Amino acid sequence: MQISVHFYSYFKELTGCAETREELSDGATIADLFRQLSQKFPKLNAMKKSTLVAVGVEYQTWDYVLKNGDEVSLFPPVQGG
Amino acid sequence: MTRELTITGESINEAALLAQRKMSSGMGAAIYFLGVVRESEGAGKISAIEYETFQKMAEHQFNLLFDEMEKRWPIESVRLVHRIGVVKVGELSLWAEITAPHRGEAFASCQWLIDEMKRVVPIWKNPLVKL
Repeated sequence: MQISVHFYSYFKELTGCAETREELSDGATIADLFRQLSQKFPKLNAMKKSTLVAVGVEYQTWDYVLKNGDEVSLFPPVQGG
Repeated sequence: MTRELTITGESINEAALLAQRKMSSGMGAAIYFLGVVRESEGAGKISAIEYETFQKMAEHQFNLLFDEMEKRWPIESVRLVHRIGVVKVGELSLWAEITAPHRGEAFASCQWLIDEMKRVVPIWKNPLVKL
């Protein structure tokens, strides 16, 4: 399945891009996606503990099972105000 | 509870916002909070902060917070403006107002809203260092 991934804040600098597309097997979770992304963008790996993940506009956890066409966003802790 | 949310690249016009306040006769408290860009961030001096957002998600998350406020407190209205883009030192980055029957729920809900915003609403700061 195809998943689109968006990066925000300094994650764009860590990966060198604002978005990418990934091909994953059916049943893959966000944790699987992150592992795949960490191989492509090694600087992401050190950020795992503080990474926030959303699918669409909702926060999700690492065990969320992805669906074809999901739009995943990865970003560091938020700091509005 | 009425709600107005604005995420904007324009300057926050505090006078205009205050002039637009509406309160019914049952409301006894109106409080508002201003977020202002400080001249220092961490150890260094800065000239501005550049705010970035994932706007669609930010709007959704703010509305979830407003839903929760409505359950917790008898609030009549909430208005919130968050600026994005480059905001210079001394300028407003955030303006939030709550009207409620009593000061207790107005203070408590405003504190809660700002704290939760900083936890869940996807907005990030990039301090621009003073040269």
